[in-house]
Amino acid sequence: MRAALIWDPRVIGYHFRPGHPFNPKRLELSVSLLQELGLLGAETPMVAPRPARDEELQLVHAPAYVEAVKRLSAEDADRSEARQWGLGTEDTPLFRGMHEVTALVVGGTLRAAELVMSGQAKRAFNLAGGLHHAHRAQASGFCIYNDLAVAIAWMQREHGARVLYIDYDAHHGDGVQGLFYRDPEVLTLSLHETGRYLFPGTGFVDELGEAEGYGYSLNVPLEPFTEDDSWLRLYAELLPKVAEAFAPDVIVLQNGCDGHVLDPLTHLRASTRLYEETVRLTVEVAERVCGGRIVATGGGGYSIWRVVPRAWALVWAGLSGQHAPDVIPFSWLERWQGESPELLPERLRDAPDAVAPVPRRGEIAEQNRRTLKSLERTALPLLRGWSMGF
Amino acid sequence: MIVQHRMSREPVTVTPDDTLARALELTRAHRIRHLPVVVGDGRVVGLLSDRDIRLAMPSPLSAEDAERTDFLERTPVAAVMTREVVTITGVETIEDAAKRLYQHRIGSLPVVDTRGRLIGILTETDILHTFVQILGGMEPASRIEVVLEDRPGELARAIRIVGEELGVNIGSLVVPSTRFRERKTAILHLATIDPRPAVETLEEAGFTVGWPSLDFDLRQPPPA
Repeated sequence: MRAALIWDPRVIGYHFRPGHPFNPKRLELSVSLLQELGLLGAETPMVAPRPARDEELQLVHAPAYVEAVKRLSAEDADRSEARQWGLGTEDTPLFRGMHEVTALVVGGTLRAAELVMSGQAKRAFNLAGGLHHAHRAQASGFCIYNDLAVAIAWMQREHGARVLYIDYDAHHGDGVQGLFYRDPEVLTLSLHETGRYLFPGTGFVDELGEAEGYGYSLNVPLEPFTEDDSWLRLYAELLPKVAEAFAPDVIVLQNGCDGHVLDPLTHLRASTRLYEETVRLTVEVAERVCGGRIVATGGGGYSIWRVVPRAWALVWAGLSGQHAPDVIPFSWLERWQGESPELLPERLRDAPDAVAPVPRRGEIAEQNRRTLKSLERTALPLLRGWSMGF
Repeated sequence: MIVQHRMSREPVTVTPDDTLARALELTRAHRIRHLPVVVGDGRVVGLLSDRDIRLAMPSPLSAEDAERTDFLERTPVAAVMTREVVTITGVETIEDAAKRLYQHRIGSLPVVDTRGRLIGILTETDILHTFVQILGGMEPASRIEVVLEDRPGELARAIRIVGEELGVNIGSLVVPSTRFRERKTAILHLATIDPRPAVETLEEAGFTVGWPSLDFDLRQPPPA
């Protein structure tokens, strides 16, 4: 099959509480849009996930943490220990059954990795995955287990894979970066709104890795109000250089879509074009350097009615090599408009003038360009030098 | 936060009789800029910076390379080092250290015990690292600023809203001092990816809030 969409309706149980911004309704909306658009078929099917086993979670998480999450999943759990694990907070409150459902989310990304590494599918997309803020023994920023890191570690163990991790969620991929900070076999590349202003406050150009892994963590902090053109130019310039120097066996792509102009949590100003183009560029590079293999996940995305379904439909179309029609089927609008507090868009792609041009556009683009140059100056020689055996 | 918890222990040192060539080699090998000069019992008798060496060297415009190398190899550290060394003791506070570096316009402080023997070195970088921690750059957090009127209880009122009403943990809190009877600005790092409820509730309670900063609030695009 060309690409697999990992889906099990039970993952919508990854829901902290009513009114919480990380709302699994967006997954339902997205899958239903893919169906209505006719983007699922024999060569591009849905595949069910399996729960991750404890032993797999422990590839990156402390056993004591996994045990604590299990204990805290019970309805009558003793809540006093929650805080030390980053749980029971505003961002990641406790909910019943959270271990089971999070293990299923992680299992979805593992399933995607299995399909891609075995050659059964060239690419796979786990919408529910992308929990990039979870740390070794700490929940953070809506993330309990780090499905991306588990899948990366699994591909290392089972296939000896060198993994290029790319994260263009508006928030820095701090959990994944931290878990592989000393590992030269995993290169993490995160593009995000600068941590000067946005959670988690990290992801600066000088975070390059440690010890053996020095030079294998790359960060492109973007200025607030960055738009498509500047963002894509940076990505198009950097990605081929990094991918060619590192020569991965597989790419893991986190597709958080909270950098869209309508997202309420961040200050970036992307349109849907960013998602379509980023995937197109990534597929092109993957075909050149790693046989086209991409394990993809969702991520952030808090404009759940107007942005997430469209962005991820474009991501899926790009991964699965299909053309997505621009008109959103009436049946989809009809099904969801009643529930939506906002007017649903009728086109999959934002019109070119949908994002009002930001004042000081030139300055913002110029600052981003300087950021890229400074990263290239410090990081590329490390990567290229070491790949040549210095 | 006191100096001995922040300094580098076992600093690289030279003696007054070492050559400048040796000193220069040490600064390059360890990528450092300052070498405390110590004598047998560990007492600090001077400080040598890479700048001291460069200033003492014959100019490359007037001297051949061989002459410059020769100069480095025959000149002892004692001839060039700073003898009036500003030092600090391990139990002084990090604020004292920062103030001393700033007032003397220097880049590092040898840390000594009560008998003047070297126990470590504290550099600008160590101070900066400390301030990064104080200002809250180390834990995942969102940054906001809150204006506090100059009267008792304002800070407590803001903190109570964030911490008790909303249950959001405060990762760090800095209230830089201002002149007498001026408003203060509290810088808070909130342990949340979504500071909107905190910002809204504080504003409803009458506080002026900047997210992430008063001078650069990102809720609106910048003016042209």
